[in-house]
Amino acid sequence: MTVSRRWVMPLVVVLAVYLAATGLLATLVPAPDGARDWTAPLVAGGWMAWTFPTAMFFLTILFILSLMAVWEYASPGGNPRVGLLRFETTRGDRLFVSLLGSAFIHLAWLGLVGPSLWWALALSVVYAVGVFRYV
Amino acid sequence: MERTWNNKAWFLVLPVLVLVAFSAVVPLMTVVNYSVQDTFGNNQFFWNGVDWYQELLASDRFWESMLRNLIFSAVILAIEVPLGIFIALNMPRSGWGVPVCLVLMALPLLVPWNVVGTIWQVFGRGDIGLLGYYVNALGIDYNYVQDPFDAWVTVIVMDVWHWTSLVVLLCYAGLVSIPDAFYQAAKIDGASRWAIFRYIQLPKMQRVLLIAVLLRFMDSFMIYTEPFVVTGGGPGNSTTFLSIDLVKMALGEFNLGQAAAMSLVYFLIILLLSWAFYTVMTNYDAER
Repeated sequence: MTVSRRWVMPLVVVLAVYLAATGLLATLVPAPDGARDWTAPLVAGGWMAWTFPTAMFFLTILFILSLMAVWEYASPGGNPRVGLLRFETTRGDRLFVSLLGSAFIHLAWLGLVGPSLWWALALSVVYAVGVFRYV
Repeated sequence: MERTWNNKAWFLVLPVLVLVAFSAVVPLMTVVNYSVQDTFGNNQFFWNGVDWYQELLASDRFWESMLRNLIFSAVILAIEVPLGIFIALNMPRSGWGVPVCLVLMALPLLVPWNVVGTIWQVFGRGDIGLLGYYVNALGIDYNYVQDPFDAWVTVIVMDVWHWTSLVVLLCYAGLVSIPDAFYQAAKIDGASRWAIFRYIQLPKMQRVLLIAVLLRFMDSFMIYTEPFVVTGGGPGNSTTFLSIDLVKMALGEFNLGQAAAMSLVYFLIILLLSWAFYTVMTNYDAER
């Protein structure tokens, strides 16, 4: 049974919250000499040592999870299927495989190529699309 | 049939989510933050980018610890699994011997890890330890403090002593669940002891064996306390496994950034292996 729900509003809410949180984080970035120091600690002396890039990393993970929740709301059941790996996976499994694989792609790139990770990110996106399409 | 979607059940999961957030997610976030920064204490942090990761991936120290850990896990699995099966096969199935054997098997599992380390540290000493004294008396030069090979033997024997019981108990649980009818049918067919093991007992133990291998691999890959108490990672770095190296780096050298990067790489490897084992186990269940 396919349940179709109104998913546009939840999606807009998730996007709006993500953008608002990004904006809020940007305002927290310190600007000691007028120019923003994007990698400086967001809270000086804070033990968790938050910075803008790491906060954005976790915010993006949360955003992706929220998108998955919207997807699940729009089409419940997790869309289980047997793909390339020859066992059943839901879209949650496919997200996990995508994120874990992406982490190893970045590590391999760091170890074998160099510290510029944009190509590793692009490769990870291609990999994730492949996982969601074929696994 | 109309399916009912009741999202109120999520509220029942909420306390666990809060607990996990405080015990796992907050520390994980902190480690990620530390892994891209450097600190000299007093909560003063300086951005370091991915340098710690690059340094870690290029360091011999990390790969050597990893290799030692993989060899250790492979060796203890190669000993504990066959030994556990052998002991389980020879344990009594009825009578007073059953509770006696079960209690004896459970005893090592009840001993705390640091106590196991202390027991073997004393046991292996040449001057006051029973094992060390008699092995030396046999003319074998055994000194786990100075000889890397002896240190490895001690750590492996200690792990086998501590954890083979787990494999035994799991295999025994698998064996006692086999109905007598299987054995009677094998007897009528004139099956040999090996055939009974190969075609009746081993398939019936497959699931528990998978759990045993999973538990022992994960545990041995994260081993810290026992070898740390016995050898402290030495002599030299010969028994420095990943977790020991990590603690040395974080607390001994106060190199929090590099230790955080190493923790995350270690975590990703554990996550990958756990997922692989979990997938194999759940698919095995589905096939059954």
